[in-house]
Amino acid sequence: VLALPISAQGQNLTQFAKGPTFNVKSENKNLESTLKELEDLYAISIAYPTSIVDPYTKIPAAINSKLTAEENLQRILKGSQINFRKGAGDFYMLESSQTQAPIAPANNFSYQIPTATVQNIERTIKGVVLDDDQVPIPGASILIKGTMNGTVTDIDGKFSLTLTDETEDPILMVSFIGFTTQEITVGSTSMFTIELASSDLALNEVVVTAFGLERDKKALGYSTQSVDGSALTESRPSNVANSLSGRVAGVQVTGNSMPGSGAHVVIRGSSSVAGNNQPLVVVDGVPLEQTSSRQYGNGLSEISPDNIKEMTILKGATAAALYGSRAANGVIMVTTKNGAGSKGIGIEFNSNMTMDNPLVKPNFQNTYGGGSGYRTWYVDGRNGFDADGIRGTAGVDESWGAPMDGSLVPLWYSAPERVPLLPQPNNWEDFWETGQSVTNTIALSGGNDQGSFRVAIGRLDQTSIMADNDYYRNNFKLNTSYKFVPKLQMSVNAEYIKSGSDNRGFTGSQDFIWAHRHTDYTKLKNWEDYYDIQRQTFRPGDDYPYANWQHEYFSNPFFNQKYLPSSNEKDRLVGSIALNYDINEHFSIMARSGTDYWSDTRININSAESFKNNVKRFGSYTESVLNSQETNSDVILTFDKDLFPRLSLKIQAGANNRVNNYKSTSVNVGQLTIDGLYNLGNYASPVTPSSTIRKQVVNSVFGSAQFGFNNYLFLDVTGRNDWSSTLPTNNNSFFYPSVALSAVLTDIFNVQSDILSFAKIRGSIAQVGNDADPYLLNQVYSSEGLWAGTTPTYAESNEIANRTLKPEITTGKEVGLDLRFFEGRAGIDFTYYHQSTVNQILAVSISTASGYSSQILNAGEITNQGIELTINATPINTASGFSWYSAFNFARNRNKVVELAEGLENYILATQNSLTSEARVGQPYGTLYGRRYERSPEGEIIYNNGLPVLESGTHILGNIQPDWIGGWSNSFAYKGLELNMLIDMKMGGDIFDVGTGLARKTGQYAETAIGREEGVIGQGVKNIGTSEEPVYVPNDVIASAGTFWNSQNPRTYHESGIFDGTYVKLRELSVGYVFPKNFLGNKFIQTMKLSFVGRNLAMLYKNHPHMDPEVDDKGGNGQGFSYGEMPSTRNLGFNLHVTF
Amino acid sequence: CTKDFEEINTDPNNPVSISPSLLLPNAIQVVVDRYWGHSTRYQRLNIDAAMCWIQHLSRNIYINAEGDSYEIPLTISSGTWNSIYNESLINFERVKSLTAAGAEYENANYLGIAMTMQSFSFAYLTDVFGPIPYSESLKGTAEEAINSPAYDSMEEVYAGILADLMEANDLLSTSGPAVVGDILFNGDIMKWKRFTNSLALRMANRQAAKKPAESSAIMTQILSDPVKYPIIENNAQAAELTHFDVIGSRNKMFDVFSTRSDWNISTTLINKLLELDDERITVYAQPLDDGTYAGLPNGLTDAAAGTFNASRIGLKYLDPTAPSVLMTYAEVEFIKAEAALDGDIEGDASAFLESAIKASFHQQGLTMPSDYMSRIGGVTKESIMTQKWIALFGQGVEAWNEYRRTGYPVMSAPHPSSVFSNEGVLPTRIEYPTSEYSLNKTNLDEGVSKLGGSDNMRTPLWWVE
Repeated sequence: VLALPISAQGQNLTQFAKGPTFNVKSENKNLESTLKELEDLYAISIAYPTSIVDPYTKIPAAINSKLTAEENLQRILKGSQINFRKGAGDFYMLESSQTQAPIAPANNFSYQIPTATVQNIERTIKGVVLDDDQVPIPGASILIKGTMNGTVTDIDGKFSLTLTDETEDPILMVSFIGFTTQEITVGSTSMFTIELASSDLALNEVVVTAFGLERDKKALGYSTQSVDGSALTESRPSNVANSLSGRVAGVQVTGNSMPGSGAHVVIRGSSSVAGNNQPLVVVDGVPLEQTSSRQYGNGLSEISPDNIKEMTILKGATAAALYGSRAANGVIMVTTKNGAGSKGIGIEFNSNMTMDNPLVKPNFQNTYGGGSGYRTWYVDGRNGFDADGIRGTAGVDESWGAPMDGSLVPLWYSAPERVPLLPQPNNWEDFWETGQSVTNTIALSGGNDQGSFRVAIGRLDQTSIMADNDYYRNNFKLNTSYKFVPKLQMSVNAEYIKSGSDNRGFTGSQDFIWAHRHTDYTKLKNWEDYYDIQRQTFRPGDDYPYANWQHEYFSNPFFNQKYLPSSNEKDRLVGSIALNYDINEHFSIMARSGTDYWSDTRININSAESFKNNVKRFGSYTESVLNSQETNSDVILTFDKDLFPRLSLKIQAGANNRVNNYKSTSVNVGQLTIDGLYNLGNYASPVTPSSTIRKQVVNSVFGSAQFGFNNYLFLDVTGRNDWSSTLPTNNNSFFYPSVALSAVLTDIFNVQSDILSFAKIRGSIAQVGNDADPYLLNQVYSSEGLWAGTTPTYAESNEIANRTLKPEITTGKEVGLDLRFFEGRAGIDFTYYHQSTVNQILAVSISTASGYSSQILNAGEITNQGIELTINATPINTASGFSWYSAFNFARNRNKVVELAEGLENYILATQNSLTSEARVGQPYGTLYGRRYERSPEGEIIYNNGLPVLESGTHILGNIQPDWIGGWSNSFAYKGLELNMLIDMKMGGDIFDVGTGLARKTGQYAETAIGREEGVIGQGVKNIGTSEEPVYVPNDVIASAGTFWNSQNPRTYHESGIFDGTYVKLRELSVGYVFPKNFLGNKFIQTMKLSFVGRNLAMLYKNHPHMDPEVDDKGGNGQGFSYGEMPSTRNLGFNLHVTF
Repeated sequence: CTKDFEEINTDPNNPVSISPSLLLPNAIQVVVDRYWGHSTRYQRLNIDAAMCWIQHLSRNIYINAEGDSYEIPLTISSGTWNSIYNESLINFERVKSLTAAGAEYENANYLGIAMTMQSFSFAYLTDVFGPIPYSESLKGTAEEAINSPAYDSMEEVYAGILADLMEANDLLSTSGPAVVGDILFNGDIMKWKRFTNSLALRMANRQAAKKPAESSAIMTQILSDPVKYPIIENNAQAAELTHFDVIGSRNKMFDVFSTRSDWNISTTLINKLLELDDERITVYAQPLDDGTYAGLPNGLTDAAAGTFNASRIGLKYLDPTAPSVLMTYAEVEFIKAEAALDGDIEGDASAFLESAIKASFHQQGLTMPSDYMSRIGGVTKESIMTQKWIALFGQGVEAWNEYRRTGYPVMSAPHPSSVFSNEGVLPTRIEYPTSEYSLNKTNLDEGVSKLGGSDNMRTPLWWVE
């Protein structure tokens, strides 16, 4: 037996040190087992000389999990002759207060084996053990392989070990919790610098669950997955939600590239027909609004990734029963960094800069110019006639014009002078700018026994690939906690965010859909240079404030961006104040109030003064102020006690009051008196004001009980009752329970295997109730504005209200298996879930001939079932310090609309050009219905006169939901160098891409250049029989290219706009270097890491011929549509992280 | 803790009860808008479909996708259908229930106005679609709610409309209670009576070939008792919505034509007016730079259209305050002329026709040339209907109805560069909106069977002569 055993869970050394310690009598525990419990609970290591821990020492107090590890240690060691010291990381060292020995000098601080058994001391080796950040690891164990000779490192990570000559070719086994064990041949070396690679595979992960309660992951009966903050900051998107894509099994993120934009996040598929399907976002216990617009962003897009310590995804309904209704779609829990655990003052600085460019360039044709009928001729920006009576094609916004062969034609910047018509193959590149994002964050943190703080200031400046489209964000973050008296702790967490933009608006790739291929966008950007020339060609009665390639339907996008911006300025405060009071060692109470308040002022300049056809179009603009606030106040009582030696019990009970208030006020000035002066007083005709108010209150009581048996069998039971203001008063109370079970098989059956290190099964069943939106109970009338500026008008709402609404209920079941192998070097986590939502509150579409378009009903059932699989492994981890960590996740969700209301078959989620995305009974959510081509029995498209024929009626054309989604991440580390990559995959799922279909109709793409002179023959058949008795032969009728592509106009021929949404992207790639401590050369800088980072670097696979199919035109539940979005971007840059 | 929940959940944005004067204006405006102009692209039934099909207008761009080539966006059907049922008809229905005998706002004049406007709206729908939900429609919030209403045949719809118009005339009384919010006639009940009875003449005349006895009886009943059944007797009494130069209250043709120049006057109309040396050409069309008038053939390819220099729509229709016309004095006189010619009513068809043409010239601020009657080549069904077609410029749907019913005017052969879809057939109707297929399939199928042909744009409607 070693003289100085070190207790460090999972480590080899402890096996020698620890004998059976379950010799506890009665309720009093002994010190040794209590220390072990502390280690388990807080994932810490406590080292002590056996001599000072008497197995029969009784302890004065039980562990209280509401307290910190230090506080518990203080309580436990109170009155004893033992002191403790905190080492780096999670290491604590006990020492007798009677031994006056000061901290020994590092070079001779060694715990030696008693000399009794030692004959010859041959030599002493020394060394230091460091972690990957070159920070010393105290308490790491050093053992000579195959012997009982060992030691632990001191507080500076140093060790000294005396080798006896008994061992030939001694090998050092160096290990520490949370790091991968290394074996090092001693040879003749006597000084070692040993660097341990951190392992993310620690068996005892602590996860944050509802109400910020930290739980041992093994105790959970449901599926969670966490993303460490460091993974969010390097290859960062400005919206942190986007970095979840591909990282977490079952989480589908659809982002877009506008600065400051929102992302659509769905966990385990959509369960609500009409409601919000996005998860609840909770920041340090405070719900954050996650429902607002795609263009103006939402909660997650505004918080700073630099302040995030960890994001935990609670996937099913179970995980979230305590958060109430809105958690039915899962919860994204954001835990921000605080100063706890830091010693003294720490400074952290992070700087990130990326450059953005479009990822995918459409395949354009560069043969024919803009216009129609093989003619390209600018006259007056419209289809007017020039002095020679020649009709212009300037008003045509398509590219069926003349060959770009250098022929002399008048163009918009030269007319009536003629210039050569030349291809502009790079006008895509000319159109877009290089976008840029710069983020700098500095944080100051500190702490002591009584409290801690962390304050951070961050600034993001982002410019888009679209000219004059930008975004800025200032984040001020403060996290503090302070203990006024030992039992009372107050904490304040708050983030104030000031964000905004000179112009949120953009003109997307419409400029490459309705366009002239010959347009030189560099000239268009500098239109002022050609304005005087172009003015000469304006038609009498026309006067535009800019030069453009046409004046019929399109404005100059660069003029619009500059002079017709949509600016906004938004203030947001998210924060909470919490008081924790320990009533006694078993009871504690927390009172907390948190709020998410924002106010957004938006000014949209809609038009500038212009004249067309002698008609004056006035300048106009809209000013809106939006205010939103959600306040949650909770009181939570916690009871925590080990009832029996083998049975632990933790009970929480509480009450919550949630108040949501929203108000928007908007004023539209339709006619400005003085153009360019944007003030509400500057109106030439009555302004149009409007406002919307929403208020909602939900009161709740809830409780949960967690039973732990022998630390290997866990049972969680929860229940919650809500009272919501939005339901009928006689039906506004609803209760929902959950139960979850977790069993650690390896502990139950005491499996001691070199292969299987850990096995757990889990299962749960949970319900979540949900209320309605406000004001759905009464039939209302809405204002339709003034007729003639004087007569007020109203109309009845098209939605039939419902006075007998009931809450909707989601029931989720899941089972899972968690296996770890080879001491955690490999692991598999598998989940199967089934979720069903019934009594959905939705506005069901009805025949408009009823007088109404929809009816609010409790209707329908949607089921989602699926599997989630994560596999991770560390295939390589060599003594030389090279390691490779790899993780793969896969999720497949199957979704079905089981029923809607009586007699109702479908619910329309979104519609575009009469194509609908529907929830239809028997079909998955988001099935696309529209017109398709008629086909022969052999499946060939039928042509008539060379053009494809439409089948009557509407048919299933696809579905927006992917077949599966997944991600594969790899990390390679060698010394201070690391490489991380993430591949993100979405397989299947269809999009209705009107933009691509129209760009074909308008002759933009390469395929439309084929056969322009000679015509094209569509592939398919034609009917040479009768309509009753068709005889199909291959189509051989030549159609003109323009007519042929027009018959693929997706506005009518919906099928031609359906594209496969599959993509495989190299989502992230970063190469980082941690500067070695000696390089930094001073004590001022603690660590420094420089990384080169990239996001969306490459499209590895897609089926869409022209663009990135990751698109979201409509936002919300209207997924799967596309029409001229800003293209997705490739981001390249660097990240610098320094701590002082 | 939940006692104030009811108050919290009371909508602070929208009222739960309302007076009929606030519902009437928007309901009128929406159906008038759909009839005359409508400015939402891909929903402009009159401008993009009817006026092009009837060859008053022609498109010079997007010809093959927006109507002129007989291919229309599906949203023309759905937009028209949804808007008239959901924004007009239901609000007239609500006005009726609020003002019926014994109701909160009991007022026979509101009731009569709502019935007349409902009749106008249902007539519009049935004349473009065929069988429609009628007797079971508008009952989504009724005591016995109907979400999937059955379709009635055109014959049934016409019978219902004519009965309602008769009842409306009985309800409307110049000595009755005042109405507020009447943006069409500003509370002038006599004008409402004239419109109601003139509308009944239009409906009776349109179904005359199918139900000659009933139609003749109705027309005779109306025309023989001008005191009880006043009709439109001069241009000042015409049913037209006066517009204002305020955003949202402007003439919709102005809204459309002032911002886009996709249309010209059709060759068919220009040639007819030139042939008749008809001065109305100066109102309907703008001259070219050289002072002459030229038309643009319908249904050309975009490329072919580019070679034409054609007249644009007359400036009168580009005036934001130009009225939206529902029914004119001229139309009433044309109806009399046709009915007299057909023997449905007593009277001199020639005199009625001359009166009709005079009224049309007068309506355009012109005077009919004294020799004009000699230019039209005798009083025949063709000359009556051709003149009516000229007079109905702007009321494209009405002109289209009359063309489909009578086959006049005889349209010239398509231009060689024209490409028409719909098997080359000038559309006989428009298809039901796709939403009816998904939301009301069973009844729709029944409706299609009442249509007597497929749900396409080639099946003739019931009143075809």
